[in-house]
Amino acid sequence: MQVTLQTLIGGLSLGAVYALVAMGFSLVYRTMGLVNFAHGNVVTLGAYVASTFYMSTRLPFALAMIVAIVVTGLVGSVIEFVLRPLENKDFDLMLIGTIGFGIVLDALAIIIWGATGRAVPSPVRAAPIDLFGLRIRTYDLVVLAIAAAAMVLLMLFLQRTKRGAAMQAVAMDHEAATAVGIHVGRSNSIAFVIGAGLAALAGGLVGPLLYVSPTMGGALGIKGFAGAILGGFGSIPGAIVGGLAIGVLDAFAAGHFQGYSELVTFLVFTVIIMVRPTGIFGERTVNRA
Amino acid sequence: MKRRLAILAVIAAALWMLPYGVDSYAIHIIDVTLIFALLAVGLGLAMGIAGQVNLAQVAFFGVGAYTVAILTTRTGLGFWTAALLALLATAVTGLFVGTPALRVQSHYLGIVTLGLALAFTNWVTNASVSGGAEGINAIPVPELPGVDLGSEYLFYYLELIVFAIALAFGLFVVRTPLGRRMRAMRDDPLAAGAVGVEVPMLRMTAFALASVYGGTAGVLYAGLVRYVAPETFSIANMFLLLAMVIIGGRQSLLGCVAGAVTLSLLRELLVDYPTYAQVAYGSVVVLVVVFAPTGLAGLPARFRRRASAQRHELQPFTPFAEAPVDSGASPLLEVACIGKQFKGLRALDDVTLDVGAGEIRGIVGPNGSGKTTLFNVVTGLYKPTTGEVRFAGRRVTGASPYRLAQAGMARTFQNLRLFRALTVRDNVLVALDRTRTRSIWRYPLWPVGVWRHDRDLRAAADELLARFGLTDFAGALPGALPYGIQRRVEIARAMAQHPRLLLLDEPAAGLNGEEVRQLGEIVRSIRSSGVTVILIEHNMGLVMSLCERVTVLASGRIIADGTPAEVATAPQVIEAYLGDSMSDTLEVPR
Repeated sequence: MQVTLQTLIGGLSLGAVYALVAMGFSLVYRTMGLVNFAHGNVVTLGAYVASTFYMSTRLPFALAMIVAIVVTGLVGSVIEFVLRPLENKDFDLMLIGTIGFGIVLDALAIIIWGATGRAVPSPVRAAPIDLFGLRIRTYDLVVLAIAAAAMVLLMLFLQRTKRGAAMQAVAMDHEAATAVGIHVGRSNSIAFVIGAGLAALAGGLVGPLLYVSPTMGGALGIKGFAGAILGGFGSIPGAIVGGLAIGVLDAFAAGHFQGYSELVTFLVFTVIIMVRPTGIFGERTVNRA
Repeated sequence: MKRRLAILAVIAAALWMLPYGVDSYAIHIIDVTLIFALLAVGLGLAMGIAGQVNLAQVAFFGVGAYTVAILTTRTGLGFWTAALLALLATAVTGLFVGTPALRVQSHYLGIVTLGLALAFTNWVTNASVSGGAEGINAIPVPELPGVDLGSEYLFYYLELIVFAIALAFGLFVVRTPLGRRMRAMRDDPLAAGAVGVEVPMLRMTAFALASVYGGTAGVLYAGLVRYVAPETFSIANMFLLLAMVIIGGRQSLLGCVAGAVTLSLLRELLVDYPTYAQVAYGSVVVLVVVFAPTGLAGLPARFRRRASAQRHELQPFTPFAEAPVDSGASPLLEVACIGKQFKGLRALDDVTLDVGAGEIRGIVGPNGSGKTTLFNVVTGLYKPTTGEVRFAGRRVTGASPYRLAQAGMARTFQNLRLFRALTVRDNVLVALDRTRTRSIWRYPLWPVGVWRHDRDLRAAADELLARFGLTDFAGALPGALPYGIQRRVEIARAMAQHPRLLLLDEPAAGLNGEEVRQLGEIVRSIRSSGVTVILIEHNMGLVMSLCERVTVLASGRIIADGTPAEVATAPQVIEAYLGDSMSDTLEVPR
């Protein structure tokens, strides 16, 4: 029981990071129907920028994070701008285009920061909290809190602001949105920038939990994507639930299967997708003939 | 033809002489390039031809190589026995990885296959049988009497022969019925199902093909390098492979080969700067998808275009030979108490209608009254919430579209669903083709039979196109044709299935007066050739003049059913369909 709970808590904090990644995926997908395969590499970029500013210029962690969000946001808008000619035309090609961007970002990260990774000290120095014999790292709580805050802010933005409502409209029907005067390109661009910002947030937060290396984004990206699909692709609450679920699944798989955890995680994921392709909160779209 | 053979002979001779002019390092690079080209052809078949996003090709490659390595070093099997078992293992893996394709497509399939590829590398890195992160070395040299395959020069010839056979087989598949069905499925899985293409089986076939190509490459790799380690089968290499296919042009196998050669050479040029090479090919991938989606393979066509300026004309339709209707005792189509619910919306509510053999039935009703939903239920696209559909006396409720198509149902679509990357002739050929996926054994074992069958199909297609007056457009892509001609192509495609029942969904939409008149003529001829026709149409003139009986739907219910004259004067129809104000001005054509 004790061990189970401890694993659960470890899984939740990493799951919160997956949830942030998943939210980025979902936001871009619901707005423009695109899966951004470069998202994982944007996470890497965010992690490197945040840790570089935090460690070498001794900026406060929060400030370093903001710098990272700005930088990745710019990268996101560049990706969207370049792929704009394909928008609403050929999704498979756009998907491959983002893979191309991923390859480039991956290589750029190695050129700038080298192929070896770095360890990032935790910004929260408080001792772990002891709760009924469970050790909870304070930083884990910080990660969970930030993820929760990000979700609430994103939901508020989408539902309460004019810009957010416009993005919802684009998500539902981009042609009708154009007809009522919404700039679809700008809306897509904002989705991409926010998505990239969420990736940077995830990358910056995960730095002190894992080891920052050029390959970290790949694994985070795929698991975040898995979380997004598990929750129901395009649904923001779904992304949170799915991300947390993948984190917990991952933690238990790591506990029981050690080195084979990735194998187990992806096999379980495959089975879930086959049983329920629409995820937990997803809706089946109707084929129109 | 002669010129092609000559070019082919020159290329073959050049490839045969190639090893004489290069040093031992270069021949190694060439050998590896050929292996990548083989992988790229396999990936091209799955992604470019069949439209299945397959990010596990590198895992198929790995399964092939690792099976050979494990069997030869751990159990002492000979190389060739191990190779055969390795191909079997990859084919099984391919079918396993392909199963999700039955449920999900596009990016979902991408992530699932990518996840399974990661699962594979995760397994080989950890398992002791695969040597962990160090991998397995000292794989024995493949033995071949009289030839020392330990020499990379001689191994080149083995690779070249295997590659030539594999490429030729791939090209054969693409150009014959199997590949045509795959391309149709790629362009529009829904329409492909509606013309009788067995979509699920075909998706599995695509993965099986890709995996066997991957496995063959893996076997050759094991024989060439005689050492396997996890990093060869990493995601980075998967993306490199993907870049080869995209840059080369995924819809052309020769393009895939060109992409593989180009990127391998580029990688070799920049061998001291691997990360810069990565930046380079990543950027090229982005540029290609935005500016040249057909890749290297599409470049010649860009320069060659606008050669033929001769005018193409639609020829008149030649009526079908008349045939008696075999009207059995029961109606051809019986729809009983069908209901269809979408979330809160009741699209169809207790719809019952019978259509007798040889009838032309009209279905009319305001927009959103459930006409197309009814078609979709009848043709198997939707499962009805309640009720039953019987076709030719057999219960077919919920049967898949391709089975219904094979049983003799054909349809057209409201918004035109032609296979857009297939020529008009190929569109018709897909529908003409009655071969099943289970007869693909003929491809490896009796290709002559496949070729003969294809030749017969082509003759039949030309005859049908001539009948519909479409001969001039046989080689055109549907998207380039005027709307009216596209509509006619879709009817020709449906008739190519030799259906017993033809369902036309708003065939007159967007046609001008003359075209509507021709359409009426075509539909009448179709009926007198023994085919029953159901017609959804808003053009009342056409409905009134063509149909013996008309069924009127409103809000998912049948509100009237009878002869055109009866229906047109029924008060509930005038109210629901034409509106109150129309009742005074309506003229009924007689």
